[in-house]
Amino acid sequence: MTVIRTRAQSEFLRRNGSQIIVVGLLVVLAIVGVLVSDRFASVNNIMNILEQSVTLAIVSLGQTLTVLTGGIDLSVGSLISLASVLLSGITNGDPAMVFPAIMIVLALGICVGLLNAAAVIWLKVHPLIVTLGMGAALQGVTLLYTMGPAGKMPLGFDVLAYGRFLGLPVGAVITVALFLGTAFFLRYARFGRYVYAIGDDAVGAQLMGLPRAKVLLFVYAFSGFMAALTAIFLVSRFGVGQPYTGANFTLTSITPVVVGGTLLAGGRGGVIGTLLGVYLVSLLNNVLNYMDISSHYQLIVQGLIVIIAVSVYVEKKRKL
Amino acid sequence: MLTLSNVSKSFPGVKALSGMQLDVRAGEIHALVGENGAGKSTLTKIIAGVYQPDEGQIEFDGEIAHWATPGAAKAAGIHVIYQEFVLFPHMTVAENIFIGHERRGAFGLVDHRQTRKDAVELLHRLGVDIDPDRRVVELSVADQQMVEIAKAMVHKVKLLILDEPTAVISGKEVELLFQRLQALRADGVGIIYISHRLEEIFEICDRVTVLKDGQFVASHPTAEVDRDRLVSLMVGRDMQELFPPKADPATIGAVVLEARGVVAAGRVRGASISLRAGEVTALAGMVGSGRTELALAIFGGLEMTEGEVVIGGQTFRKMTPAKAIAQGIGLLTEDRKGQGLAMLLDVASNITAADLDAVSRWGLVDRRQEDAIARAEITAYQIACRGPQNPVVTMSGGNQQKVLVSRWARTCRKVLILDEPTRGVDVGAKAEIYRIMREMAAKGIAVLMISSELPEVIGMADRVVVMREGMIGGELSGDQISEERIMQVATQKIAA
Repeated sequence: MTVIRTRAQSEFLRRNGSQIIVVGLLVVLAIVGVLVSDRFASVNNIMNILEQSVTLAIVSLGQTLTVLTGGIDLSVGSLISLASVLLSGITNGDPAMVFPAIMIVLALGICVGLLNAAAVIWLKVHPLIVTLGMGAALQGVTLLYTMGPAGKMPLGFDVLAYGRFLGLPVGAVITVALFLGTAFFLRYARFGRYVYAIGDDAVGAQLMGLPRAKVLLFVYAFSGFMAALTAIFLVSRFGVGQPYTGANFTLTSITPVVVGGTLLAGGRGGVIGTLLGVYLVSLLNNVLNYMDISSHYQLIVQGLIVIIAVSVYVEKKRKL
Repeated sequence: MLTLSNVSKSFPGVKALSGMQLDVRAGEIHALVGENGAGKSTLTKIIAGVYQPDEGQIEFDGEIAHWATPGAAKAAGIHVIYQEFVLFPHMTVAENIFIGHERRGAFGLVDHRQTRKDAVELLHRLGVDIDPDRRVVELSVADQQMVEIAKAMVHKVKLLILDEPTAVISGKEVELLFQRLQALRADGVGIIYISHRLEEIFEICDRVTVLKDGQFVASHPTAEVDRDRLVSLMVGRDMQELFPPKADPATIGAVVLEARGVVAAGRVRGASISLRAGEVTALAGMVGSGRTELALAIFGGLEMTEGEVVIGGQTFRKMTPAKAIAQGIGLLTEDRKGQGLAMLLDVASNITAADLDAVSRWGLVDRRQEDAIARAEITAYQIACRGPQNPVVTMSGGNQQKVLVSRWARTCRKVLILDEPTRGVDVGAKAEIYRIMREMAAKGIAVLMISSELPEVIGMADRVVVMREGMIGGELSGDQISEERIMQVATQKIAA
């Protein structure tokens, strides 16, 4: 009996080790936060953290799936910028245009994702290059459309960013729902299994007759859709779209994914780890704010976190 | 049920298959034999839809087939167990078995409980004890092979192709596999069985087709040919020529290396072995009995937690590869691509890799001298390549192995250890490697050969040391060496 139990325990630790580490770090950060400022533990601040983490969470959700297939999506930053200027530009203060503009922007996200996937599948170019190129092209399109803030959103559109649902931030509720839905999909849908299989062994997946093209099309379209959704939340917060508003998201969307234990090589990890990673990053920024450390340092810290996280989770090469 | 006629396939610079024909009936096990590079893999991949033939016709189940993708061939009822497994290392055993055929419950969602239950049942039916919840990456190679076989039984297969299925399993597992294959044959499944082990072909196959240089040679019922005939069809030379004569007992010298009570890596539990100059010693035993680990420990590639190695009058408790090489030990690893050759470098660089001092002056490599050495070795070992600058990645397995042998032959002065030296190597190159091993022994070197191929052990070894569960199970020499005796020692339970 004892033998079985220890095996089950070690199994649990191995599968959830990264999540446990992240939860531990969250606790440590929370304690530091309380020590640094008495306002840290206030309801206001917690709501604030939840609100601010929404955009990062949604874009990272899409990113997680591309990474699970062994790919990556570096076009999300520019896609967010383009989607945000289009959203406020098309709406231009007219409440009747809000819904059509949202639809256009979400469709754009899906199309960009499909294009990314098509290049990966049929031109056989590595996703890193495809999406990097796509990102540059989209930034160009954005700047052709506008060099500065474009149009404006009607009053009341900020409900997404600052509204409450059952006392909780609307965005945070939507975020958690999206993550749970995706986690369910990955675990219980056949397609979800294939996402892992392709990341684990791409050649093997093809020899097994698994639908690699369909899975990649879906995954990159999903990432594009999530980037567009991120743009909608950003515009809701700022009231207007700006041509560089998404620039930082390319790197920051990867941070929670790798911090949450998803292997960059693909095949292993999951979205729940990513969500924990998002809250870790948000909490860290929040604590740094209370410590009066400038946002420039926050950027430095984030860059270091990515490198450290990957080095921690990288599968150690077998010795001779 | 499957008929290939006049099938040809070319790759840039190579004609892999030309005018190939094959005819497999429902309810038969059909062996496909040929040297490495004869076209067996290409043929398999054409049947599996990975490649499309340039010419010729495939007829399956009475219809002309054009499979554009592996998925299409699979849908038609063809399942291939490749030599390089198609398993997803980070998924569990159960998930791997049902990949592409997920057990589904309400709303078409994957039913994990049912998947697990069916996997347990399937593994039980196969007669193997593998935990369905373990990730495949943690399994032994033999267990991975059994998972591959379980996968083939998930859905209704009409044609099953197995490429070297017994390369990594032995004894009981081979028996279990053969039982399953016989049951499938009785159900009317057509089976194509590819193997280098000819004795298996006579044991289980009904007919055999021989390929040579991408062409069809002959097709016979196995009852109508014998082993020697088959080999001569494959290579055009006789079996007897394969092994050089054994050493005259009078020429066998003193003990040059002695390993005592070696414990390492949890796989070796107190093994002692001594090697004599001029002798070819075979280290036999089942896969997983600790043979490779013992050899690695002697060479210093694995840490010895207990025990010692005595060589050249010195006793080593901590061995390292650098010390081992300095003492004149050479090791050809089992995995020549991963741990032996620098695949993208050329023949010359690979030959001199362990002995750069010999071609260097003032710390710089003298490419001209290296070139000259490489040319001499290429001639001496009849390595088929375009010259010293040929990258080894483009060469056949047999020739790559010769490059490795020549590398170690240059540096090892006392002991040469070869781990499965002829795995995946064609018959012609095998004979060449056997000859080289014998020559090294004749020069007074102690040769230790690890091998799972019993005919090779019997044909080459002056003395056989059999490992079992990390310990030495017994030793055989001279007339005692036979398949029965080796298997007996390798499998008997250790007396309590």
